[in-house]
This record gives sequence, structure tokens and C-alpha cells, in this order.
Amino acid sequence: MWKYIGNRLLLWIPTVLVVLLVVYALAFYGAGDPIKLIFLRAPGDVAYNPERIEAIREAAGLNRPFLVQFWNYLLHLVQGDFGNSLISGRRVGNMIAHAFPITLQLGLAATVFLAILGTALGVIAALNHNRWLDNVISAFAMGVWGVPVFVSGPLLMMFFVKGLDIMDVPYGWHGLFDSMVILPLLVLAITPMALIIRQARSAVLEVLSEDYIRTARSKGIPNIQIVVRHMMKSVLIPVVSQLGLLIINMLNNAVLIETVFGIPGLGQLAVTSITTSDYPVILALVFIGSTVVVTVNLLVDIVFPLLDPRALSKKETKEV
Amino acid sequence: MKDKIDTVENAKANFLAAIKDTPSNSLKKDAFLRLIANKGAVIGLIIISLLILVAFIGPYITPYDFLLQNLEIRNQWISWAHPFGTDDLGRDILSRVIYGARTAVILSVSITIISFLIGIVVGSIGAYVGGKVDAFIVWFIDLTMSIPSLLLVIVLNTSLKPPLMRWMETQYLETKNTVFRETIWVDFVLVFGCLALIKWPKAARIIRAQILSIRNKNYVVAARAAGVTTFGILRRYIIPNAMGPVIVLFSAILGEAMVLESAFSFLGVGVRPPMPSWGNMISDGLRVWHLYPHILAAPAAVLAIITMAFSFLGDGLNDALNPRQWE
Repeated sequence: MWKYIGNRLLLWIPTVLVVLLVVYALAFYGAGDPIKLIFLRAPGDVAYNPERIEAIREAAGLNRPFLVQFWNYLLHLVQGDFGNSLISGRRVGNMIAHAFPITLQLGLAATVFLAILGTALGVIAALNHNRWLDNVISAFAMGVWGVPVFVSGPLLMMFFVKGLDIMDVPYGWHGLFDSMVILPLLVLAITPMALIIRQARSAVLEVLSEDYIRTARSKGIPNIQIVVRHMMKSVLIPVVSQLGLLIINMLNNAVLIETVFGIPGLGQLAVTSITTSDYPVILALVFIGSTVVVTVNLLVDIVFPLLDPRALSKKETKEV
Repeated sequence: MKDKIDTVENAKANFLAAIKDTPSNSLKKDAFLRLIANKGAVIGLIIISLLILVAFIGPYITPYDFLLQNLEIRNQWISWAHPFGTDDLGRDILSRVIYGARTAVILSVSITIISFLIGIVVGSIGAYVGGKVDAFIVWFIDLTMSIPSLLLVIVLNTSLKPPLMRWMETQYLETKNTVFRETIWVDFVLVFGCLALIKWPKAARIIRAQILSIRNKNYVVAARAAGVTTFGILRRYIIPNAMGPVIVLFSAILGEAMVLESAFSFLGVGVRPPMPSWGNMISDGLRVWHLYPHILAAPAAVLAIITMAFSFLGDGLNDALNPRQWE
């Protein structure tokens, strides 16, 4: 087991290195001179004084070769130092420490909500197989699946605030238990729900024909108890296997949803840093994003065999 | 007794009439019949056909110029003269939505075609060469799928734009060719280049898997044993058999590309105003939505309908073309 985890982490390192190298190269060759980027916004005419610029560049070590600078960046990164923002001059680590909990809370809350509601809807759909309730749930899941959050968010906002008039304008972040969080949470959770509903539905349909369910039925166990006691495990396995995909989906959606609702999380930090070419922040965000995804995938792969011992033997005989 | 024989005869005749048509159905006709039996898919197909039609004939049916500003009629509510109202500069929103359809279709079709070309080349190299090359391709595909790609591609887009603009500028100064002043094409090329970069791994993965699975089927092995050339096998067995999943994939990527294009413009890194894209119209509308909701509602509702149409069409295509997966 430990060897397996170690191998996965070893594979993760080149991935992150490649990604960081690409972004660093883009910053190095594409965006132009960071010193100019800093001083274009500063008062005075430093940006137009080549000698001063050269001196500052020399002092910051920016005229060394690309690979030396990249290596230096990595050395700092290993020590947990992300550098300073080009725009505000704040430490990138602090900026992220401020934004990360917001996105994390939102994402975790949405995942929990989504997993519970999605599994429930999937089970209900399967128990009403091919009846109208099943069709409604499947159509809902499919209809919502494709609609991007920056479309469903504003449309729902208009519906709730202007149409029904039951909500204040949701804007900004006032903690996870504030009413303003309802709409972003809802949008974030229902968009990828089709993934969960579909998995849960087909898992229940498969299990329904098993002998042990029929035995439980014939013993007169109530339906709800059959679902909770006898089916839950086989339903949760495929649901858990979707978590990695779900997290990537959430990270991508966070960028958009935080822009719509003005939430100062990682997504908004990403958008502002990209539009202002704030490369230290972008690099840190790319690093954190891929770390989160890899960690989640690793956790899923570790938890999965515990839930479903068959997965281990399947993995060994897997083809292609 | 006679009645009974009659009914039996009737049933037999009915049965014969019923199976008479069945074998004559070709694979394509069968798939088509299954597709049009699916109401959601038909509605989706109609909506998407309309979208493509509107994108093509857009300039002839827009009631106004999409750039025409008229500050006297700013932020007007829906009326007969302006069916979707006007925006904060007095531009007709219907005309802008129609031009937005043009932007969306041009970009998403090019993104899809580019991703497919790359996907076909990389996927078939992986499947045919095998060994270390294949392992590398699989690793690379997994890599692109395991990072939050939206962020990375936005970075790519924004950092490639300044050097490309500078290059266009120097080219213009050197050649005085006005082609290099049309900076709108820089946006277009960057958007579809970058988005194709996200989407091709998906295409490559499925095409590779298709080739690998079909190539090991008995009928292909038999054909090879009978001396059919590689090209012949490709043309007669692999391409027709891979067509189903590939069509489904095409529709899926087309829909996703359209969403990504609007997401880009929504975040302000894609197609920039004044060129209308649904994404930047939504982002404009968000600033004033509590006063003038129609400015936000029109592009958002159109995009919502289009994305739903793609979902339902994709699902219908999947059911129609890959019936085996449900057995």
C-alpha cells in the first residue's frame, strides 16, 4: 500500500514540474519583463529609465538564464515560499491562505450536498425505473449538466431576486452559514449532479436483480430499509469513483461562479491575477490546483479498494 | 374455429409484414430511426440546426447593425422595434445575439475540427506504433486530464496575446499589409488554438481506444489473414465501425467548445467587445442586471437553450449509435 502511494506521488512530481515549467516559460517569454510590469503601475517614470531598470533587474537576479531562475523558483517553492505579488507586493502565500479556505468551504459544502442529493435522486429514479419520475429526474439531470454556471447562476439569481423576490442580491462572502451562500452553492452543486445521478441509478438497477435483494424483499423488509442497509454500499462505490472528476469540475466552475457572485476565493484570485499578469500568483494557483486534483485522485484510489475489494483484482487483470 | 384460424393467419401476416422491413434496414437507417424516436434528441437537433442556419445567414436577417449605437434608446425594454430590447449603448440585443451565434459557431466548429485532427493523428500513432510512444501518449493524455485545464489555458491565452500583437504590429509596419491590422483575428486564433489544446486529448483517447478495440476483432484478423492491406482494413472495417462513437464525440466536443468559448469571453480573455459573443454579453449584463434584466436574460437564455439542446442531442446520438452498450 505504502509503495503504491509512493509510486503515485513520484508520478505526480514530473506532472507538476511540466506544468510549472510551461507556465514559467510563458511568464518568462510571453508576458515580458516583470520589472516593467511592476513599475509601469508605480508612480514616477522608472519604467522609462533603462539604467534603473537594469540595476533593479541585476539586484533581483532576473538577468540570469531561464533555467537558473526556474531552479531558484523551485527551491523557494519547496520551502513553501511562493514569492511576492507583482501588483500588490503582498506575499503570495498570505493571499492564498486568505482565499483558499473560502473556496474549500464552498467546494466541500457543494460536494456533500451534491453527493447526498444526487445519490438520493439516482436511487429514486432507479426505484421508479421507466416511470414518469425516472424520466423527470433523468431529463433534469441531463438538461442541467451542459448549462455552464455563468449562465445558470445569473438566470437563477434573476428568478429568485427579481421574479420571486425572496432573496437579497447574493454578492460577496459572509461565511458559509450566511443566506447569501445558498445560490452559489446550489449552482455549484446541481451542475455536475448528472454524473452522480447516472452512476447511482445504474448501480441500483444492477443491484435490484441480485438474489440478496430478492431474499430481503421476500422476508418482508420495508423498501426504505432495503435501500439503506443492503444497497447503499454498492451504490456508493461508483459515486466515490466519480469524486476526482467532480473536483476538477468544481475547480473549473469555481473560477466562473466566484466571478458571478463576487466571492473572494481562489477563482477570483485567479481571474484578477491573470488579467493583471501577476505571474507569481498564477504559478502558485496552478501548483495548488494540480496538487488538489492529484490528492483527491489519490484519496479516491486509496479509499476505493477499501469499499470494493474487487477493484484490486480487477486492476491487475485490466486490459489496455 | 374459422375465426381462430383467421386470427392466426392475420397474426402471421402481420408478423411477416413486420419483419419484412426489418432486415432491409441498414445500420445507418436503423440508427436514424432510433434517433428520431427520441423526442429530446429531435428537439435538440432542430435547435442546433436553427443555430447553424442563423449563424450562416446572420448578416442578412439582423434587423440592425450590431455595432450601431443610439444613446437615445439606451437600455430599452422589449418592444416590437427591438424584440430583445437594447443594451447600455442603445445597440439592438437581437442583432448582437445573432452575431454572437456566428462567433460561437465559427469558433466551436474550428475548435472541434482542430481537436479532431490532432486527436486522430495522435490517437492512431499511439494505437499503431505502441510501445514507449504509446505509453508516453497515454501519460500525456492523463496529465492534461488531471490538471484544472481552464486556468492553464487562460494563462496561455493571456500570455501569448502580447507577443502575437507585437508581431502583428511589426509585420504591419514592414509590409503595410492591412491584414495585420485586423487584431480581431488574433483573438479568434488564440481562442481556438488554446481551446483545441484542452479538447484534443479527449478526442485522441477515444479514437485510440476505438482503433485498439476494433483492430483485435476477429473479422479484422480474418481480413488481415486474407491479405487485405492496412489501408483497406482501415477504410472498410475500422473507420465504419468507429463512426458511431466518433459522431457522439464530435457532438459532445462541439457543445463543450461552445460553452468554453463563452466562458473565455465571459472572463474577458476571449473575444473582446465590440465583437459580440454571448459570454461577453452576459458579463456586460451582470453589471446592470438588477435595473435592466433583459440585457442579461437574452444571451443567457439563448446559451442555456443551446447547451441543453446539445445535451439532449448527444444523449440521443449515444443511444442511437451505440446500442450495444445498453445490453
